[in-house]
Amino acid sequence: MRAENRFTLFLIPSRGAHVTEPDVLVIGGGPAGLSAAVEAARAGLAVELVEQRETIGGAIYRQPIPGANPMPQAAAAKARWNTLSRAFAESRVATRHASVFLGVEADGLVLVDDRRSGRVACLRPKAVVLATGAVETVHPRPGWHLAGVSTVGGLQVMMKERGRAPQGRVLLAGNGPLLIAAAAQMARLGNPPIAVVEAGDPLRRVCGGARMLRFPGLLREAGRYLIDMRRSRVPWLRGTRLAGIEREGEAFSILLEDARGTRRLKADRVALHDGIRPNDFGLPPDHRGAAPGPLVLRAGDCREALGVLAAEADGRRAGRLVAQHLSGKAKDVAEAERVIARNRGAQATLAELFAPLPGTMPFEDLPDHTVLCRCEGKTVGDLRALCSRPDRLTGREVKHNGRFAMGSCQGRFCAANTAALMARMHPAAPPPVPEDLTGRRWPARPVSIGSLVQAASQDNEMTDEVHK
Amino acid sequence: MSVRAPSAFPHTVVVVGSGIVGAATAYFLAKQGVEVRLIEAVAPAAEATGAADGAVSVASKRPGPMMAAALSGVRLYRELAEAGLFSGLFKSRSTFIVAASEAECSVLQTHAAALSAAGVRVDLLSQAMVRQRMPAVSGRALMAVEVHDEGHAIGYQIVHRLLTAAGIVVQRRTMVEGILSGARANVVRGVMTQHGPVEGDAVVVAAGTGSGRLLGLSDVLMPRKGQLLVTERAPELNAGLPGAIMSGRYLLSKGSQGGGQGAPARGLGLVIDPLRTGQFLIGGTREDHGDRLTNDVGAVAQILRDAVALLPGLAHVRLLRSFAGNRTAVADGLPLIGRVSGCDNLYVATGFEGDGICLGPLTGKAVADLVCGREPSFDLRPFDPARFGVREVAA
Repeated sequence: MRAENRFTLFLIPSRGAHVTEPDVLVIGGGPAGLSAAVEAARAGLAVELVEQRETIGGAIYRQPIPGANPMPQAAAAKARWNTLSRAFAESRVATRHASVFLGVEADGLVLVDDRRSGRVACLRPKAVVLATGAVETVHPRPGWHLAGVSTVGGLQVMMKERGRAPQGRVLLAGNGPLLIAAAAQMARLGNPPIAVVEAGDPLRRVCGGARMLRFPGLLREAGRYLIDMRRSRVPWLRGTRLAGIEREGEAFSILLEDARGTRRLKADRVALHDGIRPNDFGLPPDHRGAAPGPLVLRAGDCREALGVLAAEADGRRAGRLVAQHLSGKAKDVAEAERVIARNRGAQATLAELFAPLPGTMPFEDLPDHTVLCRCEGKTVGDLRALCSRPDRLTGREVKHNGRFAMGSCQGRFCAANTAALMARMHPAAPPPVPEDLTGRRWPARPVSIGSLVQAASQDNEMTDEVHK
Repeated sequence: MSVRAPSAFPHTVVVVGSGIVGAATAYFLAKQGVEVRLIEAVAPAAEATGAADGAVSVASKRPGPMMAAALSGVRLYRELAEAGLFSGLFKSRSTFIVAASEAECSVLQTHAAALSAAGVRVDLLSQAMVRQRMPAVSGRALMAVEVHDEGHAIGYQIVHRLLTAAGIVVQRRTMVEGILSGARANVVRGVMTQHGPVEGDAVVVAAGTGSGRLLGLSDVLMPRKGQLLVTERAPELNAGLPGAIMSGRYLLSKGSQGGGQGAPARGLGLVIDPLRTGQFLIGGTREDHGDRLTNDVGAVAQILRDAVALLPGLAHVRLLRSFAGNRTAVADGLPLIGRVSGCDNLYVATGFEGDGICLGPLTGKAVADLVCGREPSFDLRPFDPARFGVREVAA
């Protein structure tokens, strides 16, 4: 019997008149998404915003949960949020809360997992703006995956939501300015970290420091953080790397290394941060207009991780580009591009200032037992064993045969690290990119089968609720 | 019969394509002491093998050459698992074909009798027995046929194991542009690649749909897209299933879809396979048209709707990945395996459509035997490429 006899004919469910069709669907309610929505709405387009949480603002403008005190914040940031949130409210853009973007499927339908109704909505907008923000980079170190170890950005968001600092002895470690920002916020909330471990040493980078003078806003901000840290006597251990985390009873024993040697610290919690990168896992590529499928544009940190000011400007740029594409009328994006360029310069300067010192570089001398993929429990040693033979595997083969990036996080935590480690093992080979491991197929996030079954079975009822 | 053995034992053999068929051919050639040059346009298991459902199964076969081949294919997996080569990669399990209507029941009974007559061990399970044996399966299951001694293997894992065991270094990202003719008219001396010629005493083309271009068989080979789904781990539901669940609905259309004519442009044959990891593999479609890189919500929702109807607990499990691939189909529904007519040392092995994982190792072994002048261990005559006449191949 031939293989084809296993198959019976099936019909694709019709999906015509009852699919709701906004002109523009914006994915993500952070600064980029909100400003893109505002701009597109100002141009007269019907816009909907898809936001996975119950509130807008994204990670940077995360709102306190009911009953919690808002975290003290700088006046400028408060003013920016007030302006943006007011403009968004005035734009009367409908928001789908508790909804997660799954992807653009083969026929161009945009799939949104509505977790309130337990049903996947199939939408046919003319344009999609992806504004899914950034994710934190956390390089592998022994023990990074243990319960009780989080990201610094995660701690910050928690402080914004609850208005209080995490309890106990907290150690912040990794690389970059976010560490001192979080330390200052913890200090203001009454529980400063026991130390900030920093792989770079900004105070020794004279050229970078001089260049910082071009960004007085950033300098002022950094100065405030350092003053708060100093006031709370938080040691800033520069040129130091966190080489390992071990459980010791209820607490952690943490191994630190610097040019002078090694030492150990005890802490109840550890938060790690090695920078940010676009949250672009499983996102469709930019797509300009050819059928089938909507115009797809990325905006903000998910296009280029440059921080909140650039994200807001990039949102404006994307909103205007969408309007230009759909109306055929040229729109001015020069102002937004100037802001983006300026912030690109600022981020490059910060990166130079915070460049890790020799001996603190990521991926150096990692022990084989270091976990790389925590979903599947795969280690650096597993990767080395797979990549040390004369037959050089591609990223996709490493994924398949090592199960890296195959777990339920879909590679969010390990794909970039695995690709980076592979590139270090074989510097001469074409370097793998995280997408070799993650792929670009929908669903971009795991989705309940029950919800997906609903997507097509109730086509004639698919008048998706929109929460205004 | 055109599968005549060449006179001399080959020293070096060029194999084009490192899907499961090419990798198995390379492995068995290397085992016989042949130096193998394995050339691959992309990377091992990059196409159909890497997107296959992994069935090592006779359950859906009717008596005939494909059933005979599938029985040998399953047996070889079992042997290679016991010998250690496939240890940890072959999951031995039954296939349960489930009927959900009176019509399906009667067809299923006939099918079970045919399998049994061909020597396949089958059991008929009543509704009560289905419930007792597989409480997770829907009460709509009126009966089931348990096909014993089947299994599951993941194509890319098998390929990796074969290549690793044989110590073969694959020439990745190397496109074969043509076959190089030899000193005599009926002999080839290798292939031309984008990086230059690669020579050998024989050439085996196992390049899936791409084989058509190299062998003048483009009118005979065609891609058939398939879409498949993988869930997150659901250990309890997974442990409650003693084998793969196959919908008996396909049996109803038996006879209406013969030999390529009137075959549907888009078909669905539902199989739910509980994987070793605790995940489920759910498939799949068979489509004459479509981009192998994409999945559409119509097909995915339809597959899942049918899957939930059979296994309601799946509604509470999350879908982790969807993927798709193109199998290579042959116009008459049978694979091409054997020596290419008109050439003494040129061989082809492709066109397995949905049976590549099941038949890949068996085919690789048979082709290696052919190339080395030995009698293959199973009857290749029904698959002889000569049935499509002599084609102009060598440049």
